[in-house]
Amino acid sequence: MSFSSHYSILLVAVPLAFAALCPIVGMWKRELCFPFSVAGAAAACFFIFSLWGKVISKGVVSYTPGGWKPPLGIQIRIDYVGLFMASIIGAVGLAVLVYSWRYVSRELDAEKIPYYYTLYMLLFASMLGFVVTGDIFNMFVFMEIFSISSYALVAITGQRRAVRAAFKYLLMGATSSVMVLLGIAFLYSTVGSLNMEDIAGRLAMGGYTSVASIALVLFLIGFAVKAALFPVHIWLPDAHSIAPSPISAVLSALVIKMGVLGILRIFFTVYTPGFAGIEGTWTALLQAIAWCAAISIVLASIMAIIQRDFKVMIAYSSIAHIGYILLGICMLTDKGLTGGLYNILAHALGKGCFFLVAGIIIYKHDLRRITSLRGLGRSMPVTAGAFAVASLSIVGLPPSAGFIAKWYILWGCLQKQHYVFMVMVLLGSLLSAIYCFRVVYYMFFVGSHSAEIDEGPATMIVPAASFAAATLFFGIFATLVLPSLSSAAQALLAG
Amino acid sequence: MNFSRIAHNLNYVFSVVLFLLGLYTIAVKPNLVKKIMGLNIMETSVFLFMVSIGMVGSGNAPVVTEGVKPATMVNPIPQALILTGIVVAVSTTAVALSLCIRIHEHYDSLNAFEILGRDELF
Amino acid sequence: MRKAIMLLALAGIGVMLIYAVGEMPPMGDSGNPDKTHVAPRYLEHGEEEAGASNVVTAVILNYRGYDTMGEVAVIFCALCAVVAVLGREKTGLSRTHMDVSRVKASVVVRTTVRFLVPVIIFFAIYIILHGEETPGGGFQGGAIIGASIILFTLAFGLPESTRKIPLKSRVPLESFAVIAFLAAGFTGILFGANFLTYIMPGLSEHAAETIRQVMMMVIEIGIGFAGGIIFTSIMFAMIREDKYELQPDSS
Repeated sequence: MSFSSHYSILLVAVPLAFAALCPIVGMWKRELCFPFSVAGAAAACFFIFSLWGKVISKGVVSYTPGGWKPPLGIQIRIDYVGLFMASIIGAVGLAVLVYSWRYVSRELDAEKIPYYYTLYMLLFASMLGFVVTGDIFNMFVFMEIFSISSYALVAITGQRRAVRAAFKYLLMGATSSVMVLLGIAFLYSTVGSLNMEDIAGRLAMGGYTSVASIALVLFLIGFAVKAALFPVHIWLPDAHSIAPSPISAVLSALVIKMGVLGILRIFFTVYTPGFAGIEGTWTALLQAIAWCAAISIVLASIMAIIQRDFKVMIAYSSIAHIGYILLGICMLTDKGLTGGLYNILAHALGKGCFFLVAGIIIYKHDLRRITSLRGLGRSMPVTAGAFAVASLSIVGLPPSAGFIAKWYILWGCLQKQHYVFMVMVLLGSLLSAIYCFRVVYYMFFVGSHSAEIDEGPATMIVPAASFAAATLFFGIFATLVLPSLSSAAQALLAG
Repeated sequence: MNFSRIAHNLNYVFSVVLFLLGLYTIAVKPNLVKKIMGLNIMETSVFLFMVSIGMVGSGNAPVVTEGVKPATMVNPIPQALILTGIVVAVSTTAVALSLCIRIHEHYDSLNAFEILGRDELF
Repeated sequence: MRKAIMLLALAGIGVMLIYAVGEMPPMGDSGNPDKTHVAPRYLEHGEEEAGASNVVTAVILNYRGYDTMGEVAVIFCALCAVVAVLGREKTGLSRTHMDVSRVKASVVVRTTVRFLVPVIIFFAIYIILHGEETPGGGFQGGAIIGASIILFTLAFGLPESTRKIPLKSRVPLESFAVIAFLAAGFTGILFGANFLTYIMPGLSEHAAETIRQVMMMVIEIGIGFAGGIIFTSIMFAMIREDKYELQPDSS
């Protein structure tokens, strides 16, 4: 076997190894932690992007740790969706890691810095493990690692509100994990297997369908909390706005997408569309998600408008975008699914940029109120410009990635003739234009406090600006990604 | 509802009861440590459920020994999964308790209502 | 009001779950789906294929070893989380005279603990090393090791325990379980087999068997000791008398 056949495990194992060694490196020389973890993340990125060729030619790359054929052992199964998510995690994770260097070395106690990087690498590795696994229990294990590390990263500053937000996040997150675990237990008692494809095959054989549908409900509740869907989103505004800004960026851009991916995996890989006996529950639940998502879009956008705190506004906008993603997925057409998946990319870049910009402003001027941002367009042109460009994508205007995503989501709604959802998506976009451009207005068009250029450090500006540039790039060259996404959508719909 | 099956699957019923008890504690009790206890009760209920899945009537431990047929051994997979589950539960509890310690340092209270009242909401 | 809504929601979930219980396969029946699919294969071939007569250990270390790697990462993650939230133990600083970690226990307690701790650790080592043939294994032994050190700390106080196991020696040990797992995994890749394979290809049967036993032993010991040390470190970080400010150590 050639070395390249091991890439699918190395993309999890290598960052995990760097995470495990990080405290030891930190004990020896604290400054080395940052380059050390960057090396780990870069190695993981190399493995991820080298896998694209194989996935495009073969469709699915499978790997079995220990050599046990599924369902005996755990299978790592990399399909289009998994690799797409892994690529986003790799790129965004690496950029935010670079960004957090200056931020963390000023905001955190020196003693905590090695553990910040360790937790960050654990978060990074476990998200990668979560997206590439083909085993349902393995998914739970990785879900727990990224959940626990994100609880800790929210609270890492030790401020009173941060700790409170982290505790709220932990209570909801842990409860949802238990729901998922109970779902796994229900499913296991009726099929006797843990491999996703094997479960799908065993479920199709029939028997115990009512238990399987109740397990589906449990999975849905569990992953909806992780994704911060409308009725169970209440942990998100606190946790995302109070966390350190690089962590807010990662939580918003990546961690809540894991909930979406969980829903995708459960609904499309484990319970494939159109099972005898379950399809009633399946369709009803998908309808319920679609309505919750549509309500999320409108409600969260309104909540974002009435906020006065910059980061809380951005956090509410994340809830709305989870709504767009899930709405696109629930349309069950290839266009809608493509749009939902594309919005994962567009939102990761746009919202990542928003939080990084907020972080630069907090780092330089310690400003959090939206009205206090006036005149920043003059003194911090790159930062404010990045925000303006990214807001195009968040609102969904051409030529940005967000436009393509919303276009496809609307197309998906049109295919199924859900005009109510179309109206809600358009209304949400209008509302997001209000909250985004209000900030842009304050930055560029209201009097300035100083005309001198006073930018943040380069390691912080470059990631933020490159995210903004990437939203434009993926808007103009959308054809680079769209073909593989529509194959992903077709693969999902085919089950 | 299949009542005779419910009466037969008594372990499952008890684990459902424990699950609901835990969920109730998390949602209603204002004391943060009690909430953590509720979380643990909930997790334990799932563990009870899972080991009960693997049970075989008058079965043996899944250790290969002379004279014990594999067919009479209990299913080893739920036990292995539960071990993972317990470790996860312990880890979550440790993090939750350390957050509690910090919260108590800041607020001098572990009552959820008092803590919420201390900081104005946005 | 809040309580009433909650009770209503709970009743809904409860009815749903109880209904599911009624539809489930009968408990304890050996013809249930979970006992006819994958499990028989583990029970029949577990010993020869996976190298442990305790099939649970075979599943944990071999068939689902990748899960166990994640599990080890979870406790490592919990340690990092606790340290990130609370910081390491404060050595050289004790809070006030009320600090529990400085109050000495009575002679009876201290003498008993002094006798018990070695015995407990000995028992833990037995559990760890015998996990392949009898119920037990790394995690169980690790919990016992952690408990013994916690017992020691309760009797002798935090300064005494941290002197016995200083931070410098604990930090590498905490990562040891994850590293042992990854090392075993990468060994497989070096030999040209898959990650976490214990039987190396291209070796004689006897050599391969020996290597497998050694690797599984190293992983078990790694899990056991790292687990124990991680529990200890978590407990050390949590010891505090929260209301009292830190004071320089007077004695």
